[in-house]
Amino acid sequence: MTPVLCIENLQIASAGQVLVDNINLRVEAGRPLTLLGASGSGKSLVMQAVMGTLPAGLDVRGHIGLDGQNLLALSPQQRRALWGRKLALLPQEPWLALDPTMPVQGQVSEVHRLIHRRSKHEAQRLTQQQLDEVGLQQAGQQYPFQLSGGMCQRAAIAITHAADCPVLLADEPTKGLDSALRDSVAARLRHEVNTGRLLFTISHDLDLARRLGGHVGVMRNGRLLEQGDAAQLLQAPQHPYSRRLLAAQPSRWPQRQSREKGDLVLQARGLGKQYGSRTLFEKLDIRLHRGQITAISGPSGCGKTTLGNVLLGLTPPDQGQVQRSAGIAPIRFQKLYQEPPAAFAPRQRLGRAFADLARLHRIPDRAIAALLQRLQLDEALLARRPGEVSGGELQRLALARVLLLQPVLLFADEASSRLDPLSQQQVMQLLLELADERGLAVLLVTHDAALAARTADQTLVLGAPRVRCGDCSTRETDRASA
Amino acid sequence: MMSRLVTARLLQALVAALLIATLCFAMMQTLPGDAAMRIAASRYGPDAMSQQLAEAVRLELGLERPLLTQYAASLMQLARLDLGYSLVSGAPVIEELKVQLGHSLWLALLALALSLLFGPTLGLLAGIRPGGWVDRLSLGLSILLRALPPFVLGLLLIMVFSLWLGWLPPAGFGSWRHLLLPALTLALGLAALSSRVTRDAMAEVAAAPYFAYGRQKGLDGLALAGRHGARNAAIPVVAYLGLQSVYLIEGVVVVESLFAFPGIGHALVHAIIARDVPMVQGTVLIMGLLFIFINLLVDTLCRRLDPRLNAWQEVRR
Repeated sequence: MTPVLCIENLQIASAGQVLVDNINLRVEAGRPLTLLGASGSGKSLVMQAVMGTLPAGLDVRGHIGLDGQNLLALSPQQRRALWGRKLALLPQEPWLALDPTMPVQGQVSEVHRLIHRRSKHEAQRLTQQQLDEVGLQQAGQQYPFQLSGGMCQRAAIAITHAADCPVLLADEPTKGLDSALRDSVAARLRHEVNTGRLLFTISHDLDLARRLGGHVGVMRNGRLLEQGDAAQLLQAPQHPYSRRLLAAQPSRWPQRQSREKGDLVLQARGLGKQYGSRTLFEKLDIRLHRGQITAISGPSGCGKTTLGNVLLGLTPPDQGQVQRSAGIAPIRFQKLYQEPPAAFAPRQRLGRAFADLARLHRIPDRAIAALLQRLQLDEALLARRPGEVSGGELQRLALARVLLLQPVLLFADEASSRLDPLSQQQVMQLLLELADERGLAVLLVTHDAALAARTADQTLVLGAPRVRCGDCSTRETDRASA
Repeated sequence: MMSRLVTARLLQALVAALLIATLCFAMMQTLPGDAAMRIAASRYGPDAMSQQLAEAVRLELGLERPLLTQYAASLMQLARLDLGYSLVSGAPVIEELKVQLGHSLWLALLALALSLLFGPTLGLLAGIRPGGWVDRLSLGLSILLRALPPFVLGLLLIMVFSLWLGWLPPAGFGSWRHLLLPALTLALGLAALSSRVTRDAMAEVAAAPYFAYGRQKGLDGLALAGRHGARNAAIPVVAYLGLQSVYLIEGVVVVESLFAFPGIGHALVHAIIARDVPMVQGTVLIMGLLFIFINLLVDTLCRRLDPRLNAWQEVRR
């Protein structure tokens, strides 16, 4: 019997409110399933229902069949017994999911020792073999913080190899990784499929879905909008939402028309910065003009954010100087951060953050109202706390807050990289429109080359940092979060 | 890495010694009353004390010299690692401290052991279910215990265990039974805080993605707690022990006086009353150095538990 994972008529409800409804999906050997959707679409709930990790209090109905068993009919203890034996999870952001104070080796070998009850010697041998398979033969003694994002991802894959389960659940496997690494993760997952594992992935990364192939489903608001063959669906989606999702990828954005250069905002000459023995950049000359979009791109860890901070004056350069044009108030140089939740006080209502700003800088209420409307934000959101609005909404609120200060230069540091494609497109579009309307100089830091190419008037590509001395570690630093 | 840590702590010890010597000297000078008379009274008994005896003491100890000369002399003496002689008993300070410190260390160690038995255990139980009844009960208990100064807590314990139940002697020295009540007094105060620190650490670990991942790997409860829970939760608890040693050292002073326990804290109080400057200085110095030593141990242990600490320091450098 070929193993099959099938989800039939899955419904998940909370206190009478239906969160996920009428889901029918199937994973077969050699035919992986990728469930696409924005955050809040319910795709995570579907994966949690398969794994058996749904929060308590949710009402689940339907049938999830594996090996002739209905997983939903099992007791929590029985479901837990499947973890690591039948179902293996590839966690999202593995650099957070690996134990920070245990070397990688121990985190692999404990699966052999404690779950499969293998002898110490056997566990050691298999652990080494599995680390070899993912190219981490030297890294067994290392702690997760000593590894790059891609290496952590591979360590997590080695752990799933140790578990050797028929089903592999991959939870947003490319989240937080830059595009070069996305491709290698896709190749590794594809390899899992070829060895006969059932692969079920949830993601909002369409490129990943295309590379994995097999079957694709698109979810929104807890419903499955359409599903079908990956190549076909991603080529010619039927549902309007799927089409929008596809069009939201930066590579399909329309090319922004180049604008005329406005006044010079700042110029930098001969900038250089070293980090320990690594040279991030040197001898850089940059001029930023009003109305111009300048992109800094390159692989993660190359010093993009550092360069942005140097230009903004948050970090001093090691060589060279940054000169702001005369007559611009210092407060008009502003930054938009990568993680919107980190830019707001978590327990304070959003309205309070705006009220404080308005009082401090004497901003009239109607200016706030007008700007929120312009950014397609409902004023009712202000009654909520940062954790109670979506990532896209929060980033637009952060943008609104920054724009209230009438910036001349806005440094957007990976401002859309953590958002799903539709939110990303919306935030970037609004940012660019407002930059045009207000003659803003925008400095975009992004690891997404397509995004830079579609939006920027001038692009600066930083290479990987060069290391001066021979004995220093040259570990790759490829985490998108810097 | 390790040597940098030790060097830093040694430097800290040197500065602390200088500060303690200076402060002790200044404080003893500013106490009201005539030093020579107080010393004579302590030495020969208040009844036998006379103006002549006080003058003799003044000349013998050089108390009539200018302040700066006295200060310089005391620093020079310290530089030779000579703690001097007790003004009261005439015995070398170091000899007196050896005996008293030994007693105090036993008391402190027992107090620490008891506090580690109560505090982290309760904290773990509370942290596994934040907001549960164990958590709320232990919070109330911690606030209550911490709100009581050690001498009130000590008196309460004497009332309960000595006067009502008659299980333990109320004060004195000689057997382990004498050690128990003062140690318990200190331990409860320590446990009140360490239980909360453990609770927060455990709750944080239990909510961490690596803990969830450990469970989803298939590890059962005990293996999960042992492999991924205990070590991570222990880091803040161990780090906090360094701070707790302040409470321990100041608690020893109060608790030893209350229970008439002949330790270093008891000796300090008596030396201050008698204005026995060399004894005060010696006692405070030992306590200060002990504090630095404990923190060195704690730092080393934390680095063992959490390898990231070493790396962060390297990056900062």
